[in-house]
Amino acid sequence: MSLGALVAMTHAGYVAAGWIATVIVLGGYAAATIRRGRRLSLVVPPEERRWS
Amino acid sequence: MTTPTPTSTASPLTRALGIVSLVGVGATAWLGLVASPRDRLQQDAVRLMYVHVPAVTWMYVAVLVCALASGMWLRKRTDGWDVLAGAAAELALLLTGLGLLTGSVWGRPTWGVYWVWDARLTSTAILFVLLLGYQALRRYPAEPQARSRMTAVLGLLLVPNAMIVHFSVDWWRSLHQDATVSKLDASIEGLMLFTLAVSFVAMGVVCAWLLVHRFRVGWLERSAERHLLDAALADRRADADPSAGVAVGGTR
Repeated sequence: MSLGALVAMTHAGYVAAGWIATVIVLGGYAAATIRRGRRLSLVVPPEERRWS
Repeated sequence: MTTPTPTSTASPLTRALGIVSLVGVGATAWLGLVASPRDRLQQDAVRLMYVHVPAVTWMYVAVLVCALASGMWLRKRTDGWDVLAGAAAELALLLTGLGLLTGSVWGRPTWGVYWVWDARLTSTAILFVLLLGYQALRRYPAEPQARSRMTAVLGLLLVPNAMIVHFSVDWWRSLHQDATVSKLDASIEGLMLFTLAVSFVAMGVVCAWLLVHRFRVGWLERSAERHLLDAALADRRADADPSAGVAVGGTR
């Protein structure tokens, strides 16, 4: 399917909204979780981070 | 030269899961938006199914993990189960919200409305509110054991609600369609079924990656709280008895 065909989708706006919302929600939560983990890792001794 | 200690929640396991997640999301996007055909009735709105159905399905799994971990905490009373229950509940909240959002966006072109007080939608909204309440309860300033007990009980109560959500389309007359794939008699086939399977696996790997990281963040929060409390107690003791502080620590 070409880019033109993608744009010519029926309900293209709804499809784009649903997919973009999914990426933003999951990506945003992933980024926030990683950031929280990095911040907390600085105040917890390495021996209590069993995975590292 | 020494290797620096990593200051994050990452490990070889999460890095591998992260790579598989990215590949899975890419494959789902290509199959769902480009390769798979449009539906005869729903036309291209069917492409929303590849994000909506996996989100809702893994929401059930996250609720089940939360309930199991809550039950294990009530039995064992160890920190790990409580942290796992909290991580799974947060993921369930995220997936329930995503399911409601993508479902509404799908409902507008298919049903003509974003929202209707249908049994499936209403019970899902109630589950979302319960999960919000669970998060509020986890932040409630109470004695940690009492707070964990309250959240564990609420975690167990999420399961009947999730069952009502799942069976609502069978128990009541509902605008929402029945299960798309159930009891091996799928109402879709071919490339659409394959795309749905890929999206389901990809969302599962993403959820596993998120759950592991969120569990580790919860573990770090517990450790950080303990260290802060220990430091505050040591300060109090030293203030109350300065000679003991000098004798034990040498300096203040």
